[in-house]
Amino acid sequence: MAKENAQNLIETSDYIGHHLVNLTFGWCEKTSSWGFANHQQELFKGLDSACKVSEMGFWSFHLDTIFMSILLGAVVFGFFGLVNSSAKRGVPSKLQNFAEFVHEFIASAVNSGYHGTSKIVGPLAFASCLWIISWNLMDLLPVEMASFFGHFGGGFNYFKILPTADLNAPLALAIVVMVLVTYYSVKTHGAGGFLKELFVVPLGPLEFISYVSKHVALALRLYGNLFAGEMIFILIAIMFGQFAMSFSQTLWFLPGLILNLSWALFHILIVALQAYIFMMLTIAYLNLASTKH
Amino acid sequence: MNINATFFAELLAFCIFVFITYRYIWPSMENLLEDRRKEISDGLEAASQSQRKLEEANKESATILDGAKSEASSLINQANSRADQIVDEAKEQAVEEAKKIKLSAEADIEQSANKAKDGLRDEVAALVIAGAQKILDKEINAKANKDIIDSLIKKI
Repeated sequence: MAKENAQNLIETSDYIGHHLVNLTFGWCEKTSSWGFANHQQELFKGLDSACKVSEMGFWSFHLDTIFMSILLGAVVFGFFGLVNSSAKRGVPSKLQNFAEFVHEFIASAVNSGYHGTSKIVGPLAFASCLWIISWNLMDLLPVEMASFFGHFGGGFNYFKILPTADLNAPLALAIVVMVLVTYYSVKTHGAGGFLKELFVVPLGPLEFISYVSKHVALALRLYGNLFAGEMIFILIAIMFGQFAMSFSQTLWFLPGLILNLSWALFHILIVALQAYIFMMLTIAYLNLASTKH
Repeated sequence: MNINATFFAELLAFCIFVFITYRYIWPSMENLLEDRRKEISDGLEAASQSQRKLEEANKESATILDGAKSEASSLINQANSRADQIVDEAKEQAVEEAKKIKLSAEADIEQSANKAKDGLRDEVAALVIAGAQKILDKEINAKANKDIIDSLIKKI
């Protein structure tokens, strides 16, 4: 019995580990060559590296994150671009109505939250909000689906479809916001004024810490929420699977379904809310940066 | 969850998508919505203007109607008084005509009465002469007796 439990635990941690590892392509020090992490795929035999994911250094790419985020971006921005290019001035079509509704929603948030003159804030809020929503929506797809299709369709053993659960993606967004905030702060207050604000007034270097941490928090908040959501889906799937193995499969189908469905329904809220929060905070930070106070 | 070069790829992708939004999506949609807003406000303005025009037209039509009504009633009054006048005139004329006819009828009657009187007188004279001739049964000088008989007749 104890042995069986231990075996189960190993399987469980393997399962979780499997779902948390990105498809990585990177530089392997051992062989001094580029390649996919060891045993992650069977499609390109020549590119199978000797290094595991953990042995690869900074110079590695999460191809699944990059692929999914660019694919989703192409779909979302392609959709809005197409709708806009075919937009009519008279009575709008239903798709155009939808695009206009989204635009109005974000534009009203920008107009009420941002009082500066920059033309980049609207597009930035629009792009970040929609891109993040499209990422987060991937969390609602069944956890097994990506690896299932990856395994049988492409020969990839590891494939994460949720870009938000890879810290690199939210961090990239937050860093862009941080760069813009810094730029507009310097533009508004001057370099000296900005540095003085960071290090002297009113609490000394504490302000600098808050300045850095609020941007890191912007990324971590998004990442953490979606990562945790994904984790709960994985745990539900494990519980479901383990019970199914130990008892009758049909008996545990229903509770698993109910748990999964209820968490998915709740998660829809998080999906939209986190994208909204990211957008609103972006607007608020840029507003603080570009108005004198 | 380690941070690696994926970050740069995401950074680049985000910058590209923000640029695409900045260049192709955001301004065209802003312009479109601004145009639509303008169109709608123009439409509303036009609607309220035409509403105002309608009210003015209604008012104007009411005043025109009132004028037409008063004109019509004054015309009717005029026509009525004219009709009364005509009737009065006709009455007067008729009365006058009637008087004239009466006068001429009276003159005729008098004339014919006189004529009848003369005729009667002559007949009576002739009858008297014939009667007197028969009575006297004598040839009398008709001329000598005629004066006596004439005076008799005048006494009749």
